[in-house]
Amino acid sequence: MTAGRGAVTGDAAFDRLALKVHAAQRTSNPLLRRYWDAVSDGPPTTWHEIPPVPVRAFRDVPIVTGTPEVIFRTSGTTGGGEGGGGSSSGSAPRGEHHVASLELYRSAARENYRRHLFAGADVLSVIALVPNPAAVPDSSLATMAGFIAREREVAQSVWAFDAVRGVDVGAACKAVTTAATVPPGTPGPSAASPPILLLTTAFALVQLLDALAGSPLPFPHGSRIMETGGFKGRAAEVDRTTLYRRVRRTLGVPESHIVNEYGMTEMLSQAYDCVAGQAPPAGERVHRFPPWVRTRALDPADLSPLPPGRPGLLAHFDLANAASVCHLLTEDYGSVTADGGVRLLGRAPGAAVRGCSLAAEAFLRVTGAA
Amino acid sequence: MTPRETDAWVLPPGIPAPTPLERLRAGDLPVRHPTRDAVDAEALIAALRGARRDLAAIPTAKMVRILGGAAEALTRELDRADLLDVAANGRLSVAMARAVVDGMAPSWTTAAIDHLVRAEFPDPRVLDGFVAETGRRVRAAGPAVTLHFGAGSVPGVTVTSMIRALLVRSAVLVKPGAGDIALTVRFARLLHRADPRLARAVAVQYWPGGAPAWDGWERDLLRAADQVVVYGGDAAIEAVRARAPAATRLIEHPHRVGVAIIGAETDPPAARMARATARAAALFEQRGCVSTHLALVVGDEDAARAFCSELAAGLAALESQLPPAPLSPGELSALHQIRGRITMKGATVWPATPRGWSVALARPDDFEPAGARTVWVAPIGSLAECPDALAPLSPVLQTIGLAGVDHERATALAEDLFAIGATRIVPLDQVPFPDPDWLHDGARPLQELVRWGELRGPRRTG
Repeated sequence: MTAGRGAVTGDAAFDRLALKVHAAQRTSNPLLRRYWDAVSDGPPTTWHEIPPVPVRAFRDVPIVTGTPEVIFRTSGTTGGGEGGGGSSSGSAPRGEHHVASLELYRSAARENYRRHLFAGADVLSVIALVPNPAAVPDSSLATMAGFIAREREVAQSVWAFDAVRGVDVGAACKAVTTAATVPPGTPGPSAASPPILLLTTAFALVQLLDALAGSPLPFPHGSRIMETGGFKGRAAEVDRTTLYRRVRRTLGVPESHIVNEYGMTEMLSQAYDCVAGQAPPAGERVHRFPPWVRTRALDPADLSPLPPGRPGLLAHFDLANAASVCHLLTEDYGSVTADGGVRLLGRAPGAAVRGCSLAAEAFLRVTGAA
Repeated sequence: MTPRETDAWVLPPGIPAPTPLERLRAGDLPVRHPTRDAVDAEALIAALRGARRDLAAIPTAKMVRILGGAAEALTRELDRADLLDVAANGRLSVAMARAVVDGMAPSWTTAAIDHLVRAEFPDPRVLDGFVAETGRRVRAAGPAVTLHFGAGSVPGVTVTSMIRALLVRSAVLVKPGAGDIALTVRFARLLHRADPRLARAVAVQYWPGGAPAWDGWERDLLRAADQVVVYGGDAAIEAVRARAPAATRLIEHPHRVGVAIIGAETDPPAARMARATARAAALFEQRGCVSTHLALVVGDEDAARAFCSELAAGLAALESQLPPAPLSPGELSALHQIRGRITMKGATVWPATPRGWSVALARPDDFEPAGARTVWVAPIGSLAECPDALAPLSPVLQTIGLAGVDHERATALAEDLFAIGATRIVPLDQVPFPDPDWLHDGARPLQELVRWGELRGPRRTG
């Protein structure tokens, strides 16, 4: 995938590859062929004309070419989130992404996470508030955290999350204290302590901060945090500004070192909104995918493409999804920048108006189809 | 013309005007409602409880006239500005709001309310006092105070609920659904004007249901009320169940789905049946418990496909007659997802890009309610196969509309449909607006609100 970076930076090259992969997917997957035959006007001449597949289709049918090496499952709370494990409400059918090759996933993820999370650090201690991939092998997020933990800069890694109970606050505190203590026995963070890379969902981070109740747990200088996911379907909601302020106060990690990752189980590539330590001021953050991903904002009414700056439903074309399906229609809302960045605005606003007629999710639950 | 700010409360005399107030948008209607501590819950319930004696003193015939008069005035006096408020509140077009109110109006007339009372109480005098029957005297009345939690956004549901409780002399405290504030408040004001005894027995207050800040308020009311009528989804109903004392009677109206069965036994034109299906789906924007979501068409796939074309034409025609309110990005997103999903599973979907409606030709097994005027159509081999096909919907089934089904056959079919949970089986064109005495979710709506009492004298000996 790294070798492909140069090959797909240009639009023409991307288009060529996209059409080639699409043709292969169309040929090898009858479900996709049926879908595209039903909704297409004809063979596409550019990747823009390939109809995106709704991410919720991953709940219904296996979308894969060949035999999968691993199946990643969504958390079940929203259908589109990365499977964090342990915090699923279990109320919705879980989507499945049949992944042909773990090595492909690692290649798709690696360059971007290294660039955004490892900047300026020769040695890092990883603390993960996500499940250990050995315990939850169907979590795409846990699997990526496993990739990160195996990087050569990572001196040690601690998994402070239980798939059933959630964040292991004791283990997290101990790991921070240990990592921040150089030499052993010296209390408090040392300038010589290797920085920590905390891998967490936003929800788990809130859990940790709630448990600390304001008691400081200072991270070593240069530490950084990768947080991902929202609070959809959770009892407690908090906005990101408030969260980052609490992080700075309690963990001592400035906003400039908190990186938001945007990804989904159905996609092998991820986007990050800054390089650790170099975050622009709030409100100026833009998510960046690797060059083998293109994103468009589509008009919610007819899925026509919107110009940069106009918010719409986000559709991503991820060439790394070569063995499943590349073009995805998400339920996320946002706009694109002129240079291909993505400004995320959350879920598409305006939930369905309720009356006394049954909604789909409740129907699936009641009839046992979930 | 824009919707007017509406005060979302009507309180009995003696309860101080609420202050401070909060503002919010209910649908597209600007609304003011009392803050958490602006109204004393205990004092409010006590005031309503105090109205019981006066309420009981109103004879049934008089109560029917008062309620019928107020409800007739409600529909008669709605001008365009009022309708705009109702429409904005429920996120409906004005034409749809008019159609909903006009459709409900016949069940709110004095004659209809009188019919309802007589249908449930052959001798309505039992609502006024003890009445002799063999070996005893019997009497029926609702408890002192009934608390109503209204449905989200179907205008008129709460008005019906209020009429029912007042008919059995239970004072009402109503939390309207967020989309049914305008009509409920208007009706409550008419009742206050109609009779001072009703003014003391009728209260409306909106608050954001389920919000953590209002939990204490809701608990206070649930503790103090004698009976609770709740319309809503699983979460809303379970939240009430979990907090209501064991002694409080709960009457639950959960969310439902409606189905159409299109037979081939009689010969109404397919276009007419399709138009009736379209109307049954479109009215209330498919948010009503009676709304049709699935049509089983007896015949092969070609027959179902032909029906889909007629149905698509019917729904397209309703776009101009009963325009849908614009869908939000979130609603459109949900539609794109479901349309794409079912297409991938082999369904055919009309129209190619979402408008204000969709028709999906699919297998019955793939059905799930999508809302936004989405009708699933599935071919079925025979009428006899319908109950088995619908059995998975059993827990949520309510109204089944029949068209093209012979009367005799309908009677036999009804037995099997009732056995799987259908509680209302009617000609398809009657689906949207039930009669006043309909067996709402399988219960007699007044009987389920009352307690019966008996008075017996000494047994005769020798």
